[in-house]
Amino acid sequence: MPDDDIVLKVEDLYKSYGKIAVLKGISFEVRRGETKIICGPSGSGKSTLLRCLNLLTRPDKGRIWLEGEDITNRNVDINKVRQKIGFVFQEFNLFNHLTALKNVSIGLEVVKKMKKEEAHRIALEMLKKVGLSEHAHKYPAELSGGQKQRVAIARALAMNPAVIFYDEPTSALDPQLIGEVLEVMKALAREKVTSVVVTHEMGFAQTVGDELLFMCDGKIVERGPPMEIIRKPKCEETKKFFQRIHELYARETR
Amino acid sequence: MSFWESFISDLLKGWITTIEILAISVPASVLLGLGLAVARVYGNRMISLIASGFVALLRGLPLVVTLLIIFFALPKLGIYFSPFWAAVTAFIMCSGAYQSEYVRGAIRSIDVGQSLAAQALGMSKLQEITHIILPQAFRRALPGITNEIIYLILYSSLAYLVGVQELFAIAKHFNSLQFRPIEIFSTTALIYAFMATIATLGFRRLEMKLRIPGLEVT
Repeated sequence: MPDDDIVLKVEDLYKSYGKIAVLKGISFEVRRGETKIICGPSGSGKSTLLRCLNLLTRPDKGRIWLEGEDITNRNVDINKVRQKIGFVFQEFNLFNHLTALKNVSIGLEVVKKMKKEEAHRIALEMLKKVGLSEHAHKYPAELSGGQKQRVAIARALAMNPAVIFYDEPTSALDPQLIGEVLEVMKALAREKVTSVVVTHEMGFAQTVGDELLFMCDGKIVERGPPMEIIRKPKCEETKKFFQRIHELYARETR
Repeated sequence: MSFWESFISDLLKGWITTIEILAISVPASVLLGLGLAVARVYGNRMISLIASGFVALLRGLPLVVTLLIIFFALPKLGIYFSPFWAAVTAFIMCSGAYQSEYVRGAIRSIDVGQSLAAQALGMSKLQEITHIILPQAFRRALPGITNEIIYLILYSSLAYLVGVQELFAIAKHFNSLQFRPIEIFSTTALIYAFMATIATLGFRRLEMKLRIPGLEVT
């Protein structure tokens, strides 16, 4: 793959669970510094796609290149690959027995074998970046949902990944907590942190998204600048979907 | 020497032996419990099957039978144990088997998201188990483990069956010479109760020390 600017390249990805085909030939590229938005109705395969991309789930067919390396190759060290991919989960999945600081530093200490002091220094820096340095000593149970998700973002950032995947990062949050997480994500997008974001936050998609992929039934049915797709969807499914989203958020005009 | 002087001095020697048995079998059984649980949950089919079989076997036998097999039957196969080590081995295996069930349940109760997050960071399975899963599972299993260890303290008295001169063996021996069961066995009982109380308090302290908000066992 000649183009240095392409961080992630996905080619013709397929995944089935038993007889149910979840992904049916997904292809796209993510350029360095780009924020890619993926949306679509539930069950369209968005989460499965993200999990295939960092091999938490093995795709059945198709290839994925991360910074030019074919990571679907069986000889590739999966753990090495995953270090280069930040993953932010819908349910945060912070380590419950560790403080916020330790949650962020553990990857550096255990996986990257960094010295404790160095790892803590970086972790604190990352927590500061997401506005939580005062909460470094708190355990997940002592944090709000929004704070937890920001710690999770700091944890992903600390590993200095080539790309960060967000899997519906605000879907498990109370409405008044969504804003603080989106603010952090927007700031990172403006800093040109390469990311792939599965989200239904259309405001976010329009403000910082470079391209939107609309998924339906395991396929990308429409793609283009977020603003265009959200305002003038061409495809029937996309129209229906955004119609519903607009109705849902009608009262909170953005 | 008066009855009490000689009784107490002998009993103390027996108590020391009991403490030696426990000093080895308590930590070793905890490690075995952790190991068996990890083997059952994370081992491949073969390893998991062996661990399950071991647990099923040990839980299916009365401890007395296990102890007598180790001391009397294994020598026929060329495996010899001193009375002390036969007792210690039986206690470790039996307690470890029971403890492993608490740990296994605790591992199973940990949300799958914890494992996914560890994998997403690039942790190997071993790193995930030692840094993420076991620290949480151990905390959840601790009350159950405490239970087993108190039980172990009490059934360490079974070592008398293979001739270990521990606390209960001394008491029993003394009684057969002096026949003063009330004094002898109530003193012995007090010592066991004392040890069980110390263990209870000690483990409660450990639980408090390891306590993490949100991880309490309710």
